[in-house]
Amino acid sequence: MTIATKLVGVQTKRTLREPAAAFFVIAFAPLFALLMGLIFGNDPVPEFGDRGYIDANLASITAIVVAISGLVVVPTDIVTQRETGALRRFRATPLRPLAYIAADVAVRFALSMLGIAVMFAVGILGFGAHAHGNLAGVLLASALGVLTFLAVGYALAAVLPSQGVAQGVGNVLVFPLIILSGAAVPLAVLPDGIRQGAQLSPLTQLVELLQGLWLGQAWSENLVPVLVLLGVLGIATAIAATFFRWE
Amino acid sequence: MRPGEGKACGAPGDEERSDSVAVSCENVVKHYGEVRAVDGVSFDVHRGEIFGIIGPNGAGKTTLLECVEGLRTHDSGSIEVLGLDPQRRTRLVRERTGVQLQTSALPQRIKVGEALDLFAACYERPADWRDLLTRLGLGNKTGSYVEKLSGGQRQRVFIAFALVNDPGLVFLDELTTGLDPQARLAIWDVIRDIRDGGTTVVLTTHFMEEAERLCDRVAIVDHGRIVALGTVPELIASTGAESTMSFVVDGSPPLDRLHALPGVSYAEHVEGRVIVHGTSARFAQDVMGVLAGIDARVHDLRSQQPSLEDVFLALTGRRMREGAPA
Repeated sequence: MTIATKLVGVQTKRTLREPAAAFFVIAFAPLFALLMGLIFGNDPVPEFGDRGYIDANLASITAIVVAISGLVVVPTDIVTQRETGALRRFRATPLRPLAYIAADVAVRFALSMLGIAVMFAVGILGFGAHAHGNLAGVLLASALGVLTFLAVGYALAAVLPSQGVAQGVGNVLVFPLIILSGAAVPLAVLPDGIRQGAQLSPLTQLVELLQGLWLGQAWSENLVPVLVLLGVLGIATAIAATFFRWE
Repeated sequence: MRPGEGKACGAPGDEERSDSVAVSCENVVKHYGEVRAVDGVSFDVHRGEIFGIIGPNGAGKTTLLECVEGLRTHDSGSIEVLGLDPQRRTRLVRERTGVQLQTSALPQRIKVGEALDLFAACYERPADWRDLLTRLGLGNKTGSYVEKLSGGQRQRVFIAFALVNDPGLVFLDELTTGLDPQARLAIWDVIRDIRDGGTTVVLTTHFMEEAERLCDRVAIVDHGRIVALGTVPELIASTGAESTMSFVVDGSPPLDRLHALPGVSYAEHVEGRVIVHGTSARFAQDVMGVLAGIDARVHDLRSQQPSLEDVFLALTGRRMREGAPA
């Protein structure tokens, strides 16, 4: 247990000491909500079904954050640690690989959830956004999204050969997926064919789940997104477990 | 640091052999595709010695070392480390040995003390890492970021990682590569201290001087094979390579008297310098005896001994380092 707590401690300190990483993991989501709130306000507008901008979009911001984290930040960071030999150094100790990965995932998960929780606080307390459904349910769905995309990040890190490739692939994936998710651009403005294709993206499914729960739908009405996310989580974990390399 | 104490081996019978032999390799082979990186290597490392695996870059030193460490799987042959098979008893071998890797780093933004604390926690019976840092001259660096240290200090941190489990055996791969001469000397002292504390040291290097100054025994590796193994004086004696003494003399050089000495193979007068070649154990004394007996003034006396570099040249016909004049 002591090694687990020490790993968690060191990984947390490392993340918080890296200004860019700390900013992204913790502050990006709240600042995004703050910025959008200041620009668009939260007065009811017809485009959003007589709801305010923040009301209508707050839950979706989670999807943008987890996508950037899982598709770009996590794979780049892990591939870099592999390339510099940082992971190799741990291999030369009796430490079980799973303990290292578990601590890394735990820290990233906890810090991401902290950022997302603060984001909801900013939207609700700062701009009067109102969760029609159960806020705990929305946070649980956020947690599922964070975990799923962390697993995708580890899977990408396992199969991508270098930091440059990881960064490139991440950037190529992240922008189309965000645009197709409905989190940045309303899906209604996209052509029919693209809108249907977008349903295949797990990020789109995450946005639908978050929006559904925020608007007061039951989990039972969102079985498709939940199953898609659980499926991606399972497949990504399997890929990561099979192909993960320390050097 | 007293390895051996309280480090009972897992299986009965392990202990007897590992009393005197720390590492035993027999006919170890490792391929990378078609290339035989390690090509049938056999050697024993005795407990308490500094054993050097030396050879040019690309000779297979690191591959061999990583097979012994259990970081790579050898294709055939047998390896025992402290009486254990590093492939089958990997965790136990990791518990009892220390490893400094040639290519490794730490994650960024981690402090020396935090890193040692973390690595110590990886082991069942860690040493006192604060005490260890003090002995390595890093007692005041616990709060420094590892990436901010000088090259020599960082290498000492990596030595500290290798010693944090109080191992009976430590592997050091190209430890002083990239260090300035002063830092290198300091690291040599550290390694001698490790050996004097009772820990067996296995190191690789491509610096001949490092092997000569530091190692109790060396194995010279070329193209994945051990081409020579022994103490440095043994290896040098085995090639029959000659020592030379040279000097400038005001007056006629005493070439006849030098030629008459038993250990001298020949003496010559080249561009104002007298150069004497020879092999006997008393070679230098005999030459100086002649010089003491002549009236002319002698100055700029120089002596050159054959080195491991000459041993390698004699065995392979090549210089150890590419580009060095043959």
